Amino acid sequence: MILEISHKTFYRYGTSVIQSQHLVHKTPRSMPHQDVRYHNLIVEPAPATRYSGVDAFGNTIVILDIEAVHKEFVLHARSEIATRAIAPIDLAASTPWDALKASRTGSGSAMDLDVIQFRCASRLTVPTLEIADFASTFFKPGRPVLEATMDMVTLMYRDFKFDPTATDISTPITRVLKHRRGVCQDFSHLAIAAARAMKVPARYVSGYVLTKPPPGQAKLQGADASHAWISVWAPEHGWVDFDPTNGLLVSDEHATVAYGRDYDDVSPISGVLIGGGEHTVSVAVDVRQAEAAP
Amino acid sequence: MMRAAVTDAQQQSDLLEAYRNATSSGYDELLDATSKVRPHWQPLLANIQALTPEERAKRAQHLDRRVQDTGIAYDIFADPSKPSRGWRLDLMPFAISAGEWRFLQTSLIQRAQLFDAILADLYGKQSLMKQGLIPPELVFADPSFLRPCLGIVPEAGHLQFYAADLARDAAGQWRVIDNHTETLAGIGFALANRVVHTHVAGDIFKQANALRLASYFQNLQSALTLHCGRENARIALLTPGAHHPDYFSHAYLARYLGYLLVEGPDLRTKGNKICLKTLEGLKEIDLIVRCVDGHSSDPLELDPSGFQGPAGLVRVCRKSPKLVVNAVGTAITQNRALGIYLPQLAKHILGEDLAIYDAPRWWLGDPASQNRVFNNIDDVVIRSAQEGTGRPGQAAAGSPPRKNSNADWQALRRDIALHGAGLVAEEKVGFSVAPTYSAVGLVPRPFAVRIYVAKTANGYEVMPGGLAMTVDPDRAVALSAPDGHARDVWIVSDTEVPPHVSLWRPTVEGARVERSQRVIQSRVADDLFWLGRYCERADWTMRVLRSALRRVEEDGGPANGRRAARTCLEVLLSDPTSTVGARGTRPTSIEIESLCTKLISSGKGYRTLQRTLAGLYRVASLARDRLSHEGWQTLSKFRPDAAWSAALSASSPLMLLDQLDEGLASLAAFNGLMHENMTRNFGWSFQDMGRRLERAYNISEAIHALFIPGTDSEIEANELLLLLELADSFITYRSRYRLDPMLVLVLDLLLLDETNPRSLAFQLAAISSHMETLPDPTQKANLSEPRRLILDLLTSIRLADLEAMGRDGNRKSLDELLQKQLQLLPHFSNAIASHYFNMTDEAPHRVHLRSDFKS
Repeated sequence: MILEISHKTFYRYGTSVIQSQHLVHKTPRSMPHQDVRYHNLIVEPAPATRYSGVDAFGNTIVILDIEAVHKEFVLHARSEIATRAIAPIDLAASTPWDALKASRTGSGSAMDLDVIQFRCASRLTVPTLEIADFASTFFKPGRPVLEATMDMVTLMYRDFKFDPTATDISTPITRVLKHRRGVCQDFSHLAIAAARAMKVPARYVSGYVLTKPPPGQAKLQGADASHAWISVWAPEHGWVDFDPTNGLLVSDEHATVAYGRDYDDVSPISGVLIGGGEHTVSVAVDVRQAEAAP
Repeated sequence: MMRAAVTDAQQQSDLLEAYRNATSSGYDELLDATSKVRPHWQPLLANIQALTPEERAKRAQHLDRRVQDTGIAYDIFADPSKPSRGWRLDLMPFAISAGEWRFLQTSLIQRAQLFDAILADLYGKQSLMKQGLIPPELVFADPSFLRPCLGIVPEAGHLQFYAADLARDAAGQWRVIDNHTETLAGIGFALANRVVHTHVAGDIFKQANALRLASYFQNLQSALTLHCGRENARIALLTPGAHHPDYFSHAYLARYLGYLLVEGPDLRTKGNKICLKTLEGLKEIDLIVRCVDGHSSDPLELDPSGFQGPAGLVRVCRKSPKLVVNAVGTAITQNRALGIYLPQLAKHILGEDLAIYDAPRWWLGDPASQNRVFNNIDDVVIRSAQEGTGRPGQAAAGSPPRKNSNADWQALRRDIALHGAGLVAEEKVGFSVAPTYSAVGLVPRPFAVRIYVAKTANGYEVMPGGLAMTVDPDRAVALSAPDGHARDVWIVSDTEVPPHVSLWRPTVEGARVERSQRVIQSRVADDLFWLGRYCERADWTMRVLRSALRRVEEDGGPANGRRAARTCLEVLLSDPTSTVGARGTRPTSIEIESLCTKLISSGKGYRTLQRTLAGLYRVASLARDRLSHEGWQTLSKFRPDAAWSAALSASSPLMLLDQLDEGLASLAAFNGLMHENMTRNFGWSFQDMGRRLERAYNISEAIHALFIPGTDSEIEANELLLLLELADSFITYRSRYRLDPMLVLVLDLLLLDETNPRSLAFQLAAISSHMETLPDPTQKANLSEPRRLILDLLTSIRLADLEAMGRDGNRKSLDELLQKQLQLLPHFSNAIASHYFNMTDEAPHRVHLRSDFKS
C-alpha cells in the first residue's frame, strides 16, 4: 500500500522568540515492512544550523537551531511510504514469554544488546506492583509471548476508554491503569511497562495510521493524527507490532516514523525556546492511500 | 634531656588518655596492635601535644571561626528553621603514611584508567557488554547512561576527574565504597579545608612534613589549558547555581583556578559554539568544567526538565567532543553494581589484578544474586545502585531489610524482582577509627576518606590530600556525614617536601592563565546591581528607623520631629505609588514604636527591613565570587538566622537603637571595602548604579512626602532637621550656612548640589557617567532607552529653578520635578534590566506537543 502523508505543525507565539532549538523525529525510517519513497521537511523560518543524524535507535533526527527572531514557526513533513502486508503470524506458536533467553552475542534466537535494552524500564514506563499484577493476568506461566501480548492489547481496546481530556503529557501510567482512560500514547506506555515488568522486550513506535471516513462521507482534510503503538519481540519473528488503541496486530495501514523506549525518545517535535511567551500549536495530519501505485 | 622526655610521655598520655580508654571497633589508624602510636602519626602528635590544652582549645575555636568566615558550608540557602548542616573542620587532620600513599596512588590511578576505558567502550563499541564482562541491563536500566552521548564520550579525551571514597575494613584492607566519575565531587571543600587548616595550624603542617596541594592544582590547570589546545583559553566552571548544596565548592575552586563561574542560563549556543552571555555580547567558551549532572545539562536532547546546561550542548559536543570535562554521560560508571565486575574488567582491559576492591556487593538485577540475598538478608544493606551523588557526606544511607512481617517480606521480594536492576545489596565493610580533637583530648571516631584523581600531563595524578569525614558506622555504607564533621588529609612524606607554591599568588608560569576579569556575565551584573540597591535601601531604612526612635526614646532628642518621622516611616511602609495621607496630629511614642515594628518585620510592604536584609544577603551570596572575603564577612550579621538579625524583631526600642548603630556600621564597613577593593570594571558600575538609583529614589521620595504640600513653619523646621539627619548632611549644611535650616538652602544642598555625595543631582550624574563607559550590546546608533532616561532626569534637575520654587506657595513646580523623578527612576531600572540583563533570556523553556496525539 502506498501512503501519502502530510504532517504540518504550526506554532504561534505570544511574544518574539529570540532563539529556538528543536529536535525533530518526523522522518520515517525504513523497516522490514516499509520503504520510504519520498520525504521532505520544510522549516520556516530558515534555521541557522540544521543537523541531520541518526539517534541511538537508528531513527533519523533533525536538530534545528533558529536564531532569527520569530513569532511563528512551521514544520511541514511530507512523506510517501510503501507498506507491505505482514504475513499471518501464528501467535500461539511463539516462544513462551518466560523462556525468552538473552544472549550477549545475539546469535540464533536469543536477544542481543539491541533487544535487551528494550527490556529495561525507562522514565515513562517505570513499572509498579499494580502494573506487574496487571501484566501477570496475561503473562501466565508458559504462555506464548505474542499470544499473551495480543490478549493484553485486546483487553485494553475493549476496557479502556479513548479520552483525550483524561490525561496530559505528564499523566503517569499508574493513573491510566486506574482510570482506564487515555490516548494512544498512554495505552502504549502502559502496555510497554506491563511487558517489561515481565522482562519481555517491548518498544514504543510512533507513526501514522490510515483512517477511513464513515461510509458515505468524504475524508476531512487534516483530520488525521500522529499515532503510537508498541512492538514486542519474539525469537521466531523478531519485532511484532500491536496497536493497543485499536486492539489489533499492525499490518500495512500503519506507517512507522521512529521507535524507542518511550515517547521521550521519539517525540515528533520537542523544543527549547528563549522568549515566546504563551504559544498555540495547531497540527494538521493527512494520511491517504495513493490512487494508483506506480 | 631525660626530664623533657618524661614530660613528653606524660603529656602524650594525657592527650591520648580518652582515646585509649574509649571502646572502639575496627582498625585503629593511630595505634598499632601493641598500643604504640604508628610512626607516621608521631610528628603530628608530638606537635599537637607540644601545645598547651588552652592553646589547643584556642586553635580549635579559631578553626571554627575561620570555617565560618570562609563560608564553607553546604547549602547556603538552607531553611534556617531546619537544623543546619554546618561544616566543621577538626583540628586533628587524618594522616596517611608515605608507603600507604604509594599504594593508594597506584591503586586509584589504575581505577581511573579502568573507568576511562570502560566509558569509552560503553559509549563506543560496547564490546564489554557483548562479551559478558558487564551485564547489559545494569547499564541500560541506569538513567545516567545517556544514549545521545554515544560516540561522543570516546572522542572526548580521557576521563578528566575521578574520586574514590575509601574505608578500611577490620583487617586493615582499604576498600572503595563509592566511585565518582561524574563531577569534581566536592574537591573545593577539600581545598578550602586545607587553606583554612594551614591558616590555623600551618606550623604543625610544616613540621609534620606533609605534602602540599598546590602543585597538583597547577598541573591540573596546565592540563586543562592543554586540553583546550590554545593559550588564554576561556575556561568556565559550570555550576547549578547558588542554590546547590555544593555551590561553595564550585565557587571556591573557580576562584582558585581563575576560571569563570557560570550557570546554565549564562550560556547559549551560537552555531556550533557555546557562548557566554556577557555585557559585551556573546563570548565563545573554550572549555566547560562540568559541575552539573550530565543528564540535566541539555534540555533539548537529555532530560527535558534539566536546565543546568545550555540547550544544544550535546549537539555542539558532537562537533567538539572535547568541549566538556568530564564528558557528558560519565556518571554511568558510578553505578555501584559495576564494582562487582571490576576485577575481571581489570584483567581484561589492563591485564592487571585490581589493586583495591569495592565493598562486597551483589547486583540485584541478577536472579542468582537475588536468591543469595534473600537467603542471607540480615547481613546486608540494600540501596540504589544508581544514586551516585558526588556531594561529600551526602550519600543516602541504605536501608537494612528487616523481616518484620511476612507481608513486608513478600513486598520486598517483589520489589526487588521488579526493580532489582537498579539495586545492590551490600555488606558493611566497617570503618577504621582515627583521632578527633575534643575538650577531653583525642577521641576515636570512625571515618571514611575521599581521594581525588585528575588527568594531567603526567598521566593520572592523585591529589596528595583529600577529604576525610566522620561517618555513622551503624547506618553508613558510604560517605555520609551525619554531623558534617570533616578533616584535612595529610600525606606524611618520607622525603623532603618541595617548596611552597600557591595559585593565590601566581608564579610567572601560573600567570599565563587568563583571569577573565573584564568578562562579566549578564547575570552577575544583575546581581551586583541589586546588591547596590539593597545595600542603599538597608542603609536608608535603618537611618529612618534610628531617627524615628531617637525622637521617642532619647531624652533631649528632637521630640518635635515626630510628625516628620511618622511621615518617613509611613512612606516606606506604603506602596510607593499611593500618596501618604494627611499629617494629622503629633504622634504618640506608641504610634511611632508600632510603625517602627511594622517597618522592621511585621509590615506588609516589600520594603520592610527584614525583607531588605534578606534580599541583601541573598544577592550577596549570589555574587559572592565577586566579593572579597572580608566584604562577605561584614555581611554575615545580616544572614537571616544570625543572632543580630533574629534580635531585630525582639529588641526593646533602646536596644534597637544600639543594634541599628551596629548594623549601619557594618554596612558602612562593607561599602568601604567594596569601594576600596572592587576592581573598577563593569561589575562595579552596575553595583554603583544600583546604589545611586536607590538613593536618588529615596531622597526624592522623602522630600516629596515631607514638603508637598507645604505646612506651617515650625513643623517644616523639624522636617528639615530630620531630612538633613537622614541624608547625613547636617554638618555640611551647618558648616556652609550657620543658619537654622531653610527650605531653599536645604533643597539646594540635597537636590541640586552635584558636589554633595548625598544629593539627587550627584546620584544622577554618577549614573550618567557610568552609562558612558558601558558597552552597548545592541550597538545601535541612536541613544538607548536607559541613556535617554538618565539624560532626561539629570537635565531636568540641572535646569530646575530653586528660587522660583521657593517663591511658589503651593509648590507646584517642586511637586512636578519630584514626581518626574519618582516616575522615571523605576522606568530607568527596568530599562537597565531589559537592556543589559536580557530578561527574556533568563529562562529558556520547553514546548511540548501533546496536540499531535488525537488518537
